[in-house]
Amino acid sequence: MDARKTDRIATVGFWAIGIVALGILAFIVIEIFIRGFMTAINPSFFAGKPEALKEGGGIGPMIVSTLYLTFLTMLIALPVSIGAAIYMSEFAHEGRFTRFIRFCLDSLGTVPSIVFALFGMTLFLFYLDWRTCLLAGAITMALLNLPVLLRSAEEALRLVPQTYREASMSLGASRWTTVKKVVLPTAWPGIITGTILPLGRIMGESAVVIFTVGVFVRSIPISPFDPAAPLAGYIWYVQSEAIVPDYRSIVNGGAAVLLILLFAINFGTRWLSKYYSKRKSLGG
Amino acid sequence: MEGNGNGYKMRVNNLNMYYGDFMALDDISLDFASCCITALIGPSGCGKSTLVRCLNRMNDLIDGSRVEGEITLDDENVLGTGYDVISLRRRVGMVFQRPNPFPKSIYDNVAYGPRLVGKVEKEKLDFIVEDSLKRAALWDEVKKILDRSGQSLSGGQQQRLCIARVIAVQPEVILFDEPCSAIDPISTQKIEDLMAELKKNFTMVIVTHNMQQAARVSDYTAFMLVEEQGQPGRIVEFGDTNTMFTNPSDSRTENYITGRFG
Repeated sequence: MDARKTDRIATVGFWAIGIVALGILAFIVIEIFIRGFMTAINPSFFAGKPEALKEGGGIGPMIVSTLYLTFLTMLIALPVSIGAAIYMSEFAHEGRFTRFIRFCLDSLGTVPSIVFALFGMTLFLFYLDWRTCLLAGAITMALLNLPVLLRSAEEALRLVPQTYREASMSLGASRWTTVKKVVLPTAWPGIITGTILPLGRIMGESAVVIFTVGVFVRSIPISPFDPAAPLAGYIWYVQSEAIVPDYRSIVNGGAAVLLILLFAINFGTRWLSKYYSKRKSLGG
Repeated sequence: MEGNGNGYKMRVNNLNMYYGDFMALDDISLDFASCCITALIGPSGCGKSTLVRCLNRMNDLIDGSRVEGEITLDDENVLGTGYDVISLRRRVGMVFQRPNPFPKSIYDNVAYGPRLVGKVEKEKLDFIVEDSLKRAALWDEVKKILDRSGQSLSGGQQQRLCIARVIAVQPEVILFDEPCSAIDPISTQKIEDLMAELKKNFTMVIVTHNMQQAARVSDYTAFMLVEEQGQPGRIVEFGDTNTMFTNPSDSRTENYITGRFG
């Protein structure tokens, strides 16, 4: 067989594999939308209050819960992970200690979410005697996502060329000023892109939600100490309890709404990242 | 404008430099005359860049680097414990081998140094930026595009932008670490002309691979060499550039500048 023929076969082969992967994804998305899209775009569903026993309940408070929990988690996890990433990449001397931290992070990153959920429940509900609430979930979720966020932020910082740091320090900037004025602004688009995966994970996480935040509320949560019911947990609850007669349609509609939210957050994050990298003069 | 009477802006006395256990420089002694250009020449790996990076203590950034000896700036030892490295780097600026403008606008690149000391009035900053770009012979080419990214310029323009960025800090010494090795001959010419012009106000040190360049631009030349692999860099000969290139006293210098090795 000559090289050109091999090349053609390989091209077709990889193309086919790509199409299969894409096809499966498309199938899932289309399936979910066929079953739930009409329910999802109905205002009395996505903005309405849920029903405990009757049919016709909405998921308004659940959408708010999902976004609130995601926001709160990021509010806790982002500063911590960016701060730690700056330490690891800009200040720490490469050695045993940093290798140990990385090892711990990688180990932590493989711990199943149910273990974090149990930890959060034990700490907040049993030990601190809180009731289920957004903050308990957000802290637990922040712990769960810290390894990935930290590693991706560290990666983004390391991609900033060393020559920028040298230039800045040779002009008489301290390490911290260099980080603030040159390294962070340059790494920002990468750091934002790195939040896409954790954002999806937070919005889709059910174990932590079920154990620490709650699965059913009738009113919209206001305070971080209010119980809430993010979508993923609510979908699990409605499906497994099956009390309301229209539970099938709620589950399908909820799944479609969750998917739409995920798409929106994903595109929003990408746009933000592009916006930052396109801006010609960063910072000042 | 120089504060000391002996005519030397910077002096290096018996300097040894180590990367971990490896000795990179051995017993270097050199004086840099005020408002003159001193060239450091020698084959790759002879420690020229390492030496020049000792002068503004950029080597401090490398884990495990260590120096012994003395380097003075206006007769004050800059290697002393407690010496303010930040003020040293503001007095001894550096232009690197590869042009390295920040991913910021041309204006913000030049304004970076002045802004580090605190809030500067807009008019004053505008003046510093314009003046620095003029002195770096770049103003006419960029005056209409100051808000464009510094990285959108050509390589030679970027290097002159980096020179403007250093000038804006108003240093007393400027170190050039092979400033022309990554740019074209016409831009190289421009930078050499620029250096001749800057000599009025600055003491300059240039590391170069290019012996013609050293002969063209410098007043004094130091020839450095590593005798054998694994040994530290040493100075073979140091003196007036003309004498060095026409009548070197060491046969190794002669062999190098006539192109027999290196």
